[in-house]
Amino acid sequence: MKLNGSEIIAECLLEQGVDTVFGYPGGAVLNIYDALYKYSDRITHILSSHEQGAAHAADGYARTTGKCGVVIATSGPGATNLVTGIATAYMDSIPMVAITGNVTNDLLARDSFQEVDICGISMPITKHNFIVKDVKDLANVIRKAFKIAMSGRKGPVLIDIPKDVTGAVCEYEKTVPAVIENPLMSDKNDFLYACELISTAKCPMIYMGGGVVSADASKELIALAEKLDCPVASSVMGLGGFPQSHRLYMGTIGMHGGYETGKATDNCDLILTVGARFSDRVAGDREKFGKDARIIQLDIDKAEINKNVKIDCCLLGDLKDTLRELTNTVEKTERPQWIAQLSEWGKQGKVTETPKSDDYAHPYHVIEAVRALTKDSDIIVTDVGQHQMWVSQRYRFEEPRTWCTSGGLGTMGYGMGAAIGSAVAHPEKRVVLFTGDGSFHMNLNELATVCSYDLNVKIIVLNNTVLGMVRQWQKLFYGRRFSQTDPHRKTDFVKVAQAFGIKGLRIHNDDDAESVLAQAFGDDKPVLIDCRISPDENVLPMIPPGKTVDDLITEME
Amino acid sequence: MENKQIIGLFVHNHPGVLLRVTSLISRRGFNIDSLTVSPAAVDGYSRMTIRLSGDDDQVEQFINQMMKIVDVKNVEALPDDGSVASELILVKVLADGKNNNDILAVTSKYHASLVNLGEHSMTFRASGAPFEIDTLVEELRAFGIMEMARTGIAALENGDRCLNNVE
Repeated sequence: MKLNGSEIIAECLLEQGVDTVFGYPGGAVLNIYDALYKYSDRITHILSSHEQGAAHAADGYARTTGKCGVVIATSGPGATNLVTGIATAYMDSIPMVAITGNVTNDLLARDSFQEVDICGISMPITKHNFIVKDVKDLANVIRKAFKIAMSGRKGPVLIDIPKDVTGAVCEYEKTVPAVIENPLMSDKNDFLYACELISTAKCPMIYMGGGVVSADASKELIALAEKLDCPVASSVMGLGGFPQSHRLYMGTIGMHGGYETGKATDNCDLILTVGARFSDRVAGDREKFGKDARIIQLDIDKAEINKNVKIDCCLLGDLKDTLRELTNTVEKTERPQWIAQLSEWGKQGKVTETPKSDDYAHPYHVIEAVRALTKDSDIIVTDVGQHQMWVSQRYRFEEPRTWCTSGGLGTMGYGMGAAIGSAVAHPEKRVVLFTGDGSFHMNLNELATVCSYDLNVKIIVLNNTVLGMVRQWQKLFYGRRFSQTDPHRKTDFVKVAQAFGIKGLRIHNDDDAESVLAQAFGDDKPVLIDCRISPDENVLPMIPPGKTVDDLITEME
Repeated sequence: MENKQIIGLFVHNHPGVLLRVTSLISRRGFNIDSLTVSPAAVDGYSRMTIRLSGDDDQVEQFINQMMKIVDVKNVEALPDDGSVASELILVKVLADGKNNNDILAVTSKYHASLVNLGEHSMTFRASGAPFEIDTLVEELRAFGIMEMARTGIAALENGDRCLNNVE
């Protein structure tokens, strides 16, 4: 059948099973939005306040569903506003297709109004990108884009479409997308070597990352850990991929991980790395990371092998398959002594918590009070900074795809968009956004979106009136010179919420935390809770950058 | 150990492929001495030859990163002792008339041909293995090199193996 480019876009989205897109209209995408009007019974479009919010929403949608997120923006500023959202998704390997309009073909390369070379701009932050200059190529480019975004190591793909292409007509034929398969890429010898390393290890540990969630391999990982009686540490990205109430779960690993995971890394004789990439926030000192251990790495991306830390054996391919095959091959083992040693370390290196105050609530107290009100399947979103680390330390995650955080890029302002995307994807669940006053100030405009769509998002602003994480580094490494981190803004977030049309509440201290939260969580309506916390609260413990657990900081001031 | 490794890439001949490759080289901090691009034996594809400075780990990382570019279809490190590598040079040497025979004595060793004679210069064309071109340049420096242009390296593996990986 003959369709115009915009209808082809809509049809191709339907081919891929897309029923929800996020975006913001504009001149270069007028045709596309006209098609979305026509297809509005089959494709729901969520309008954000700003394109960045839409990109983060597509990201949150993808993280919590496992599907590919889709975002649409106009040319020029619309496209550049997506950049932070695309880069965030790229760093965390989140599948996303970004569709941008551009000026018409005859106006390209003339510095026309709202023209920008978004393909050039987005090259280093996408798996691939396309500019489609002929409508005849459009359908196949969209199909390829989804395939690239969802195969191998997932990630964002951008399609830039000049306006005339979205209006031009050509023949369209519906296609059923092929199932994406990620074949095992390692040979038998590598596999046998890995089994040998595992069978000879006395005190092994598993270091897992976001790849476990991305590959939907939680069950397979639990099975292997249990068969090997092997303790598990998670990166921040991996949270939810292994149930934290499990007896083998130790905690997060890295800069703000615990003493136990740090000691385990230093003292184990084998690290089984599953879908993780030894980032500097985990392997602060690349040379000393697992210095006495053999390292096996399971990953889908060959370029992660030997990138940061030198490894002994790699198994490339889909984690689900590799883990299943390993579990079938290895012998059942028990290691009571090693487990006992770890729980001994678990008791040490404890952080001294700040005393109770009338003026402030304690972040841990609030996080645990929230946990008492949420189900395991509810979704937790954060922004970036101290609050993010507190949540990663204290919230007990039990299920995969219940956690949205910008782990790699560390994008302040990520949370509102991601919470919107999660809530749109899961109307049956509760979404809790933990944010800080710094991060929230960046993109609080998306309160308008939360209100418009009446999304069940509970926004908890851990408000210390300072830029706490940077300030903490200034305390530690810059002689307490608080350069631009003490804004003490007067913003009344309760009134802000009310102005945008949603309920606003306030937690003054630990004593009223439970009652305010109970009120906030009593219905399925959006709500903002301004939670006053001390500007001097720190994220501890902390391994200083470039160091190991031997230099762990457990006390400050 | 730091060494020079010649790497062959078989890529889609799409607009922007060269940019994707060079931007990755720059972004990941790889250090290259030369890069050449030309049509491959198969229509719609190009062949790139890159000489990379780096240790074995860097070479491995370079190949793995290049393979992630969608338009890159195959990448291989060409074995030092099992490949033929060649490049072409055009070089303009300062010639005062008195030393022309001395210059010709040098260039004839390298089978360089005189392609232009100026009032005060002689221009030669030579081709050969990169190290031969390097030594030719060194010898000619004694006379004074006014300008030169080198094409960069083209290389193929010996034997029957090919990089071509057509979809």
